[in-house]
Amino acid sequence: MRQLFNALINYKNTLIFIGLLALSLVFLNSRSFYHQSIFSNATLSFSSQFNLITHNISSYINLAESNKKLHLENEKLKALELFKFAKPLHQNTLLDSFGFEVRSARIVKNSYRGARNYLIIDKGYKDSIEVEMGVITSDGVVGIVNQVTADFSSILSVLHRDLKINARFKKNGAYGSLSWQGNHPKRMKLLDVSTLNPIAIGDTIVTGGMSYYFPYGIPIGTVLDFKKPDFEGYYDIDVELFSNLTQKEFVYILRNNQLNQLKQLNNE
Amino acid sequence: MNSDNLVSVFQFILLLFLQAFLLSNMNFFGFINPNLYLLFIIVYRLDGNTTLLIILGFLLGLFLDLLTQGSGGHTIATLTIAYLRPYIAKFSFGVNNDIPMGMLKGSLLSQRLLYLSMLIFVHHLILFTVIYLSFDNIITIIKNTFFTSVFTFLMAYFSMELFKEKK
Repeated sequence: MRQLFNALINYKNTLIFIGLLALSLVFLNSRSFYHQSIFSNATLSFSSQFNLITHNISSYINLAESNKKLHLENEKLKALELFKFAKPLHQNTLLDSFGFEVRSARIVKNSYRGARNYLIIDKGYKDSIEVEMGVITSDGVVGIVNQVTADFSSILSVLHRDLKINARFKKNGAYGSLSWQGNHPKRMKLLDVSTLNPIAIGDTIVTGGMSYYFPYGIPIGTVLDFKKPDFEGYYDIDVELFSNLTQKEFVYILRNNQLNQLKQLNNE
Repeated sequence: MNSDNLVSVFQFILLLFLQAFLLSNMNFFGFINPNLYLLFIIVYRLDGNTTLLIILGFLLGLFLDLLTQGSGGHTIATLTIAYLRPYIAKFSFGVNNDIPMGMLKGSLLSQRLLYLSMLIFVHHLILFTVIYLSFDNIITIIKNTFFTSVFTFLMAYFSMELFKEKK
């Protein structure tokens, strides 16, 4: 014990230096946005490597289950392909005028217990993933890419209290903004829908197509319950999502090819 | 010893305010701001308490960053240089590194210049590396380090000559 104290006293300058250095790094991190992003990028690429290992193990165990899901999705896609074969004339023009490209990726880490949740996927800027791309799954919306390293990207989940997504009713096009309240991973709130529009329980909600991230018409969920406040002109709608974000394995990243044009117009 | 402490406190406050409100706003040739506040660490007694110097160096950098809305580069650079000072003193003064005011008198001029320039150069290198923190800006880091170091060196040297006790 005494030797330990002696050693501590001998190295007290170095210890104090390291302690204060850590303190000043925290100070640097909290004051400068640039340094903050560098630090979080470094820690993201480090922790992703680690998560990948643990995820590889667990995904091997769930292989049969995810195989089944892939089969189901393949069936759906096959049907679509056959449908397209049926009208070969319009095939190319349809794909070209559609402004989004699709890339697939695997989820490495998925959080859904916090109030602000993130996902990490195994594609980065090497696979031409960029920030602000929309992310979907086979049956709904997942989130928006917010940080990219060489091999990984982190995604702001729709289960994030500060994220709002433009959504509208499939039947009449009434639109509002969809946000998560932070309690149940399948429930979200649709706000800012004007009471001029008639709505009913069970109506389908789809993406609104008014943002850079998602095209129009991706199904999100159905109306579970709604309230019509007495003095406000907007509904308060509870939405139940189609997709269960707590058991996802693969996601699709949407690249908006017309993003530059949209941004240019918005800036002018 | 007591009056030495008093002088130290006075130096600390004077250099801090001089740096924050005058020297950091100079912008010679658009980018050179001499960091004369390093004088506090340079003229701290060579036989003084090194632990205290580390803490004072940290506080000096922290206050400067707070006053100038800096990102935190001064804190890290000044802290590191306060920690490294005994090693730099040993390297430049050799066996004479226990003369209390060796950086002013009692040692060779070449040793004094080596001590002064090493402290200033290392400090500026750390400062600009932390501020830019990117490989793409390495030319900017080197350019800033070099020119600002030269300016700080000249100012520090002349200030030390000016305030040297004459006998």
